[in-house]
Amino acid sequence: MEFTLLWAVLTAAALAWFGLRIWPERVPAHALDRLLGAGITALVAGRLVAMIAQGVNPLTAPGDIIVIRGGVSTAAAALVFIATLAWTTRSARDALDAVAPATVLALAGWHAGCVWRGACLGSVSDLPWAWALPGSQATRHPVEIYTATALALGAWVVSRLGWRLWARAGAALAVISAVRLLTETLRPSITGGPIAWYIAGVVIGLIAPLVARAPWGPGARAPT
Amino acid sequence: MAIACGEPAGDGSDLADLPEITAEEFAAHLEALERPAVVNVWASWCMPCRSEAPLLNRAHAEYGDRVEFIGIDVQDSQAGAKQFLAEFGLEFTHFFDRDRVIPNHYGGFGTPITFFFAPHGELMRTHNGVIDEQTLAVNLDDVTRVGQ
Repeated sequence: MEFTLLWAVLTAAALAWFGLRIWPERVPAHALDRLLGAGITALVAGRLVAMIAQGVNPLTAPGDIIVIRGGVSTAAAALVFIATLAWTTRSARDALDAVAPATVLALAGWHAGCVWRGACLGSVSDLPWAWALPGSQATRHPVEIYTATALALGAWVVSRLGWRLWARAGAALAVISAVRLLTETLRPSITGGPIAWYIAGVVIGLIAPLVARAPWGPGARAPT
Repeated sequence: MAIACGEPAGDGSDLADLPEITAEEFAAHLEALERPAVVNVWASWCMPCRSEAPLLNRAHAEYGDRVEFIGIDVQDSQAGAKQFLAEFGLEFTHFFDRDRVIPNHYGGFGTPITFFFAPHGELMRTHNGVIDEQTLAVNLDDVTRVGQ
């Protein structure tokens, strides 16, 4: 049962590969390797931050790091993913923009992986497409399917944007954050989702192209 | 029969031994409950159990007034169990099941396992392995609706 998460990861990786094939423009060399490397680094970093937040010392319990299902800090994972990808693709100016649609599609695959995990459901709903947990009468929103669908559409929208520096990357961050923010109300939660981080993601994503073209930004001296 | 673990302290040596229980006694215990129950099977040697312990603690704080939380420590030593409880401060009822008869009775495999019971002990769902926050929250929401 523990390995159902692996199927979700493989679904994400397969959609990342597919996204890079259907949106290949300006994609840097070894893009899939770089995406997967950034993803794994982000998972580990997010897991470490979550462990510390839960009061578990990673130094005295290093084995807990691999228990991803124990919790991953979304914000830390997102920051480390972006930083790792930016660092590994630093020689290619448009790299973040080029891989942005595939990244959003990969995240759609991760959420669609709920099918393998049997964990697609959220809050109670009477809508005709809602379904129930085994043995339950209460039908529920398939919130992870909503999220996967919205992200897949978001990936397509991002792929249609122009090549202004960080426009696609920023839009990808804004789309991912907005989709998570909008679906969060349909997810029963114990700790409350990282709402503030999702709002920050939307804002940062929207202003990213402006920052890129600011006098001190990376696009100031060599506009695209 | 049950103990409520108090403030975590040191290696847990100041805690009382966990009470032992048979499958029949445990079934009777659940049957007597007027509210739904979440039963978590854990062990001090179980690495994934350590990962889900903080989440269970938060879930207990959030749902403890509506749902009975019970821990079953399996294939363990009393000293190990008390050290684990002291480390994580799991402030709900725990039983000691050295021979693993309770999870065997209800049909889960491996450790950890989380069982969800309707009021009066009807088994609704079994989650084998580490439980994530959303799965736990949805299942808690579901059992509380049965309990209403």
